[in-house]
Amino acid sequence: MEEVTRPLSRRRLLQLTAGGVGAMALARGLAVADGAHAALAAQRASTLKMWWWGQQEAVGIQKWMTDTLKKFQQQDGVKVSATLMDTNNVIPQFTNAAAAGHPPDVQFLFNGIYHMENVWLGYINELNSLLPASVLKSSGATNLSVYKGKQYRVGFYSVGFGIAYNKSHFRKAGLDPNNPPKTWAQFLKACQKLKASGYIPIGGGVKDGFLGEWYLVNALTQNLNSPAEALNLFIGKLDWKNPRYYEHWSRLEELKKKGYFNNDINSLQLYQGIQLFDTGKASMCFNTTPAIPNSQKLLGAQNVGYFVMPRFGHGKMAGIPITDTQGFGIPTKGSDHETAAKLLAFMHSKERVQAMWTLSRQIPASSRFNGNVIADPLLRMVQRRWVAGKHNVYIADLMPTKFWTDAMFVASQKILAGSMTGKQAGDLAAEVTQTWKRQNPDMVQNYTTWGKDLA
Amino acid sequence: MLRTRPWVPYLYVTPALALLALVFAYPVVRVVDFSTRLIRGASGPYVGSLNYQLVWEDPTFRDALEHSALLLLAVPVLTALAIFFAVLLYEGVRGWRVYRSVLFLPYILAVPIVGIVASYIFQLNGALNSMLRAVHLDGLALDWLGSERLSLLTVGIVIVWREVGFGILLFLARLLTMDGEQLEAARIDGAGWWSQLRYVIIPELKGTIEFYVVVASITMLAWVFAYVYTITAGGPGTSSTVLELYIYNQGLRNSLPGMASAVAVVLLGATLVSITLLMFVRARAQRQELA
Repeated sequence: MEEVTRPLSRRRLLQLTAGGVGAMALARGLAVADGAHAALAAQRASTLKMWWWGQQEAVGIQKWMTDTLKKFQQQDGVKVSATLMDTNNVIPQFTNAAAAGHPPDVQFLFNGIYHMENVWLGYINELNSLLPASVLKSSGATNLSVYKGKQYRVGFYSVGFGIAYNKSHFRKAGLDPNNPPKTWAQFLKACQKLKASGYIPIGGGVKDGFLGEWYLVNALTQNLNSPAEALNLFIGKLDWKNPRYYEHWSRLEELKKKGYFNNDINSLQLYQGIQLFDTGKASMCFNTTPAIPNSQKLLGAQNVGYFVMPRFGHGKMAGIPITDTQGFGIPTKGSDHETAAKLLAFMHSKERVQAMWTLSRQIPASSRFNGNVIADPLLRMVQRRWVAGKHNVYIADLMPTKFWTDAMFVASQKILAGSMTGKQAGDLAAEVTQTWKRQNPDMVQNYTTWGKDLA
Repeated sequence: MLRTRPWVPYLYVTPALALLALVFAYPVVRVVDFSTRLIRGASGPYVGSLNYQLVWEDPTFRDALEHSALLLLAVPVLTALAIFFAVLLYEGVRGWRVYRSVLFLPYILAVPIVGIVASYIFQLNGALNSMLRAVHLDGLALDWLGSERLSLLTVGIVIVWREVGFGILLFLARLLTMDGEQLEAARIDGAGWWSQLRYVIIPELKGTIEFYVVVASITMLAWVFAYVYTITAGGPGTSSTVLELYIYNQGLRNSLPGMASAVAVVLLGATLVSITLLMFVRARAQRQELA
């Protein structure tokens, strides 16, 4: 019998494709159903998934992280698959993954509202039942990680906020390089002298909004008596139109009008602005303590100084260093809470805490850290004053993100563009706060409850 | 003749319809559903039209709406430039193939790359202003990104620069299939370059222009997020905030996916209305031509 070979018709091709896809789906389904539990069990024993952030802010911290994960694997036989995330994605991506039921096992968490919203959604597990109280207490998570008496985060590294300055510029401008300004009048005078000497007094970039946030924290805090007052301001229980609460923006307006910032501040991003300082073009910049070693490397350790923002306010929090900590938490739907907790405890072991300084020149968020190992006088002073000493919390961690995007971001840029006054910024903040309350009636209650923990 | 049962053809199209429903219809239904809820996490309580009301009352939304509408002004610019360059290339200027590649090149670059590079070029002390200052055009060295007056214009310039390549290619492809005799006849009748363009080329391109205007309008309304995010981040203030950025902020940063969905529904509705209107106008014009 003669065999007839027919060309494959489009219809036949579609039939075959559909059949093939169906068979593959069925086979995959069976395989998944059969092996799911076994695979999960195997995964529990051998791998943890971690999403983290920090290298951009705390340059060099990756070295410590790599070493820590390697040592954890050697000690506990658990491999940690770590993904370094982008600043803007690290939290939203976690929220999305948690909502979908597939978060990592260990998650980097910024402090305050940036993780508390996820706590309220039930995406982050409380740590009191997973970690020893001694680890929780020494981890430097701050009380912004506590809700209804439970702690949801352990610290990672410390971030002190203030103003970095170039001692060489100060010297050349006739200023005392070892006595940076403490009062607003001294600050203005220093800016004036630096400008007269041909330097940009304050370098910065506000295009991405983060400098606006740093400025607000350094300056608004001065007129506050407690973190709870900041929280009540952000949720509209106190009035932004009160001159005391917008004075910081009026001071920003004053600095802008006197020409003490670089003229391209609105077209630069935060780290581009900091580069003006690191390259010796600007004499001062708002900065964080993890960036100090990098500035020292670029300008020479002897030329870098750091000070608390000069005082103009009259609140109880004025004149005190501001410190925040980055941290880690355990997602509720992570696959293995126990091993994740082991990893966090390992990160906070005495040896690992000391290793953070040795390997990365970053100050850990831990009261177990022995600061005597810091030889550099500036960094030793920073550790003593900003981390071990009395310090304020970072009040931007209490700020609803609507306030960030529609009030803080807008006000700081408009003031620096010369199109808004401090008072108008206060009016805008009041309006945005009311808009936020209308849009988030359920959150107001959560914030109020949180305020009780802060008080 | 092979006869099949009447329902068999429907059976064949069912997988394709199911796929379309899954890929396109389901997300749209979900977005509409989200827009009527106070979403916290994956779902939330039904709130009716409250999200739409809250969006409308939000001053930032109104700013974003205004800026998205203003960006539509770039569509005629984009269309005119694309036609102009396409005609120049069609006339076969020496090395036209090289010029074609050069003009199309920006279109194949990823938008975030274009945005990031532009954010450096347009800085107050960036490459563009340095060049302008070097040739003593200091007056033109403006604060392209840092000025509220200019930031949206700057974003528009970058969008036009990148998107024009697609238009050029589209119009050139149409021109290359055009019957050259009409242009020849126009030339013999003494028509100049402008008359040829106005009375021969543009009427020939009419259908392509309509298509391109629709595509470019959709781009301006719903595809400019990456430009805005990388070039200005919506600032200074809200001066370059557009609807897409507002959606992003409300949905991801402010944890209000319900409100973000409400804006997305409005945007989808506005786009559909524009397209329907355009198709209606085009159908009427075709009917008139036939009559």
